[in-house]
Amino acid sequence: MVQLTRRGILAATGVAPLAPRFILGGAATATVLLEGPQTSQAQAAGDVVPPLAAGYLSLGPDEAGFVEALVDVMCPADGLTPSGVDCGLAVFIDRQLAGGFGKGERLYMRGPWHQAKPQLGYQLPMTPEQFFKVGIAAADAASRQRSGKGFSELAEAEADQFLHDLAGGKVTDERVPLASWFNELVYPLFIQACFADPIYGGNAGKVFWKMIGYPGLPATHAQDMVDFRGKPYPGAAEPMSIADFS
Amino acid sequence: MVTRLKRRTVVFVGGGLTAALAARQLTSRGVDVLVLERGADHSQAAEARLPTQRDELRWGVHGGLFQDWSVETYSLRHAVDETALPIRRLEAFLPGEGMGGAANHWNGQTWRWAEYDPVLRTRLEDRYGSKAIPAEMTVQDWGVTYAELEPYHDLFEKLFGIAGKAGNLRGKIQPGGNPFEAPRQNEYPQKPLPVTEAGVIFSEAADKLGYRPFPMAAANSPEAYTNPDGMQLGQCQFCGHCERFICEANAKGSPQVLLYPMLLQRPNFELRLRTHVLGVEYDRQARRVTGVRYLDLVTGQEYEQPADIVVLSSFTMSNTKFLLMAGIGAPYDPGTGHGVVGKNFCHQTMFGTNVYFKDRWTNPFLASGASQTVIDEFNGDNFDHSGLGFFGGGYIYANVTNGRPIATHPVPPGTPPWGSKWKQAAADWYAHSFNIYVHGSWYPHRDNYLDLDPTYVDAYGQPLLRLTFDIQDNERRMSEHLAGKVDEIARATGADIAPPTVPRRPPYDSRVYQTTHVTGGTIMGSDPRTSVVSPHLQHWDAENLFVVGASTYPFNAGYNPTGPLGAMALRLGDDLSDYIKQPRQL
Repeated sequence: MVQLTRRGILAATGVAPLAPRFILGGAATATVLLEGPQTSQAQAAGDVVPPLAAGYLSLGPDEAGFVEALVDVMCPADGLTPSGVDCGLAVFIDRQLAGGFGKGERLYMRGPWHQAKPQLGYQLPMTPEQFFKVGIAAADAASRQRSGKGFSELAEAEADQFLHDLAGGKVTDERVPLASWFNELVYPLFIQACFADPIYGGNAGKVFWKMIGYPGLPATHAQDMVDFRGKPYPGAAEPMSIADFS
Repeated sequence: MVTRLKRRTVVFVGGGLTAALAARQLTSRGVDVLVLERGADHSQAAEARLPTQRDELRWGVHGGLFQDWSVETYSLRHAVDETALPIRRLEAFLPGEGMGGAANHWNGQTWRWAEYDPVLRTRLEDRYGSKAIPAEMTVQDWGVTYAELEPYHDLFEKLFGIAGKAGNLRGKIQPGGNPFEAPRQNEYPQKPLPVTEAGVIFSEAADKLGYRPFPMAAANSPEAYTNPDGMQLGQCQFCGHCERFICEANAKGSPQVLLYPMLLQRPNFELRLRTHVLGVEYDRQARRVTGVRYLDLVTGQEYEQPADIVVLSSFTMSNTKFLLMAGIGAPYDPGTGHGVVGKNFCHQTMFGTNVYFKDRWTNPFLASGASQTVIDEFNGDNFDHSGLGFFGGGYIYANVTNGRPIATHPVPPGTPPWGSKWKQAAADWYAHSFNIYVHGSWYPHRDNYLDLDPTYVDAYGQPLLRLTFDIQDNERRMSEHLAGKVDEIARATGADIAPPTVPRRPPYDSRVYQTTHVTGGTIMGSDPRTSVVSPHLQHWDAENLFVVGASTYPFNAGYNPTGPLGAMALRLGDDLSDYIKQPRQL
């Protein structure tokens, strides 16, 4: 099968090459086209990006705007990867929230509920999806109170500082523990979005695997253990994912 | 309505490693065995097949093979004056579900414990004086010696195709092996695994410091292997999907590969999957158990299963819970120190640092669960503890088991947690760093114990098991001392960056994985006042009830627990055969 870049597919089907936020109807921030430096950087990295899944299962337009702004701040387009949105990070987070994880699968959800020391772990009566969205609303409100602008309207440096303040417990809300929301829910989802198998919607084109040199599947390395001990591993340049074997 | 089933000779509660090993001994002598297991057979499912087996998010992060916390979890408090809350998603240790239990998703790191470990209290009193052990450290001897267990260690290693290098053959120290090893009658059945680049670097540093590094013994098969039962292992592919995963190459010594398929061919063996045991039936007057009650998780129907002998072969936590629920044996009371069930609960003390090299290719994805290089100088009582203010220790090792990228993308301290600089650091160091770690002991403390939670229940309406548990001074001091040893080794590697090791400190954290080696709760010993089971794993208060697993360990060593677990389960199988011929207190 001939692989096309996302841009190529969009062009071939006559769809304007817009980020998912535009397909959603302009929920969010600035109008960034998939052009210019982002595309050329992706190509420079030898990246063949398959089409991103369009549309969201869990996030509403405003929530999507928040998440898109967030992943673009945490993963700016640069010489290593395209922007977070173009890497599929927002889609990954949306799919996780809509799926078993978001609905509280494998999570003990019985009361009574009490506040606890952090070492006892998550102790709120919400599913991860509910907590994620309550946190978005609280963080966005805190941003408006601080600067008069919603999070997705902040300039990149301001938004980055806001996230550092969230992580450091400097952005607070009366009801929502925003530091643990960011550090224990949002941040792990961001990391997973970057490095999970692309079958989940993030790590588009295996771009993060290529970035670090993780060769992916099938990982039958019995001979490689001998041949490539202490040497660069050539397979790291072209990692394989679940889709390549399905 | 509860349906009463036909009586069986031996009923095991929990279908993991220990049940399968004991059942091997029993069924070969014609004894009727039934194993009840709450989970499924994983061996042909997505978790054991390519490409789905290599899904880090599904198995590694979301823990698809582990106990389902929405059904049953544990509650935690750090001290008796606190209120315990349920651990809603446990990460600190990882019990399994399904045929083979947690031994399906283990790394395969296989140790015999030190020769002195079964007599640790005696050893410490002899070496440091009768008053050297603090009153709150309730460490005790096992009541069985290493020499008695040695033939069973040997058998377990042959059954599981363990790959390693002997360090002590019949008392003679062997070059290339662990010089602190307990004496072995035989060499390992397979040669050691190939060394990783991290192992090469670690060995060079350890040599410089005068330590004696060696390859960890592994249940990752370096070649195709046929065990004495004719069961086969494939060749390890060093795929980096070992712990938290099932080996799709059948190269990891696991009960679902080596034991259950064989047992299922035997007419006197039955495995009943998706059956959740609700309780053990205890006749207090007769001081005997009569069977178990279980819920069929396929039909929702409840059954009573009468049995001549019941063996609790579940994970550490469930073994303890069954005894507390049934009221068999006196529950431990930390206020008085009396009682035994729930006593001496321990975990392990894990800490270390990452080392970073600009010009060395460590390729973390070229690794297996136990392809590690180790020193044992600072484990247990392998070094003099005079004046140190603690007992115990740990092995120190080049800890590379995988390069799965969600969990493994180390960046040096000071790197921002996201953004272009973070990405650059992840790209720079992923294939150029590794972890030097301590796999440390945890000795029992009077205040650390298990009992039933007064508030929270599981999906079946039964109380959660409650941990009253924290990192005490002994483990904190041990960790501080060994952190210094790690740092010396880290510097000796010549790493470009070697951040100082942060010792493990309280409070105990449910969110951070340590090991799956939790021990105690149903401890063994030769005195019924201070132990739940005898040295033959027979319950002191119910002659036909036996308990097997790490719940019987009176303390936790710095070694991984599976070696003695396998040895004691095989020995139990022989003891049960003997008991069936002539039921008595063994």
